[in-house]
Amino acid sequence: MIKFDSVSKRYTDGQEALSNISFEVGRGEFAFITGHSGAGKSTLLKLILAMQAPSSGQLTVNGVSLSRLSKTQIAHHRRQIGSVFQDHLLLHDRSVYDNVALPLEICGYRPNDAARRVRAALDKVGLLKKEKSFPEALSGGEQQRVGIARAVVNRPSIILADEPTGNLDPALSAEVMKVFQQFQSVGVCLLVASHDAALIERLNYRTLVLDRGELLVDQKPRPTA
Amino acid sequence: MSDAKHRNGNPDQPRSRRNTRAEQPGTFVDLVKLHHRTIRGSARRLLQTPASSLVTLLVVAVALLLPALLFGLNSNLASLLRHVQGNAQVTLYLQDEVSEAKGQEVSDGLLTRRDIKIAYYVSPSQALDEFSASSGLEDLLQEIAANPLPGAIVLTPTDVSPAAIDELVRQLQELLLVDMVQVDSLWLQRLAAISSLISVIGSVLSVIVILGLFFVVGNTVKLAIENRKAEVRVIKLVGGSDMYVARPFLYTGFLYGVGGGILATLLQGIVLTTFNSNLEVLMKLYESDFQLRGFGFISGIIIIVSGASIGWAAALMASLRHIRAINP
Repeated sequence: MIKFDSVSKRYTDGQEALSNISFEVGRGEFAFITGHSGAGKSTLLKLILAMQAPSSGQLTVNGVSLSRLSKTQIAHHRRQIGSVFQDHLLLHDRSVYDNVALPLEICGYRPNDAARRVRAALDKVGLLKKEKSFPEALSGGEQQRVGIARAVVNRPSIILADEPTGNLDPALSAEVMKVFQQFQSVGVCLLVASHDAALIERLNYRTLVLDRGELLVDQKPRPTA
Repeated sequence: MSDAKHRNGNPDQPRSRRNTRAEQPGTFVDLVKLHHRTIRGSARRLLQTPASSLVTLLVVAVALLLPALLFGLNSNLASLLRHVQGNAQVTLYLQDEVSEAKGQEVSDGLLTRRDIKIAYYVSPSQALDEFSASSGLEDLLQEIAANPLPGAIVLTPTDVSPAAIDELVRQLQELLLVDMVQVDSLWLQRLAAISSLISVIGSVLSVIVILGLFFVVGNTVKLAIENRKAEVRVIKLVGGSDMYVARPFLYTGFLYGVGGGILATLLQGIVLTTFNSNLEVLMKLYESDFQLRGFGFISGIIIIVSGASIGWAAALMASLRHIRAINP
């Protein structure tokens, strides 16, 4: 689904955010990306979203090389990806419902179909009762979960999450991970950037460890007894 | 491995269906509903800043009003011209020694010409009667022994264009027995020249106004996009195309155009009413029932439609340019 082939990203100031990264994450696979801040986790996710272009190397998503996409194709590419952002990126002048409905509206869903999916997504993150609230009235953790609902509402084939449990207590973190696991079980490819070592340890998924832009370890899940 | 097989075998992943929907947003009714929602959202945003929206509306209205007034004035002038040209008359004054019978004969002869529609002879005595009746100088004229007026033939040309009249006059002047040809076409020519000048000024002004509106609406849309930069970024990140992001801004430009057009039509109505009451006094003096026309329903529609199209196009140019510049 996602294939990095000797991908490097150098910023204009000469700083190398990613150097010579190669890995592949397949359908239905759940992988953590971890590493210190500044290790290149966010850059890696930005490349997959085509927010930035690699300086060298090939990045292929769903069999399509991202270097050849036009503006419109980039928009279509992003519709297949559900993204959870570290700073939530919610629209503050829209209700929780409208925020979650945004990807469906972009894809042109009928209001009735959209309503069903939005409520299902909000139910999954436990925010069904808050659909009329505005993001400002929510706590950080609730905003985080609205972002997660928005990421999964369109049933994407890929979910990218940047520190999705950063603002959540352990119980809610577990809830969110359960939502992600449900999507994994139906074939969705998940890439989750996190430095929550305890969580990563407990869930025992494939883990990519980045260090100063280099892929240090590609740790496969431990065989379960 | 076959991706497609996996996909189809997966009930919770209606990928292909979703993608078709993305291309075709439901039925036509859904599309109308979506645009209806968008236009309401755009209108709500305009109402959130009533003062600055009103200023922009006024600017658009005044800009639309100027060429509209000029074109309206010109179309009235043109219809006035046609009106008076249709009545254009050429008078042939015959030499004094021509008898009434001869005069009548010449007049009948002229009627056979194709370029003359009507010709009738006015004898010196008829002319004197008419003159004394219309001038009110009967008493004075009775004291004059000899009739000082010549016989005349009054013609109405078939073709009333200035060039045709000039040619006719040139030919008539060469006729024997004709003393003088009088045609009051000079002021008609001046009026025609003024009319075409107004039309040129109107066209130039329209171009300037369109450019100005592009600037005003474009700048307003640019500011609106700047204010909503964060929102544009988020929408682009979740897969909104530039056109999707632009849509509400296009409606903003469209609403400014329509609103400005309606306002311009109202202002035009006020101008018309003011002018017409003054014009009525003037036209009574000339015993004419001429009234300003062409400022009615159709002209209002034209102003509103032009305003809407210019507003929409200006917003399209500005929004695509500025939205493209926002990279998430």
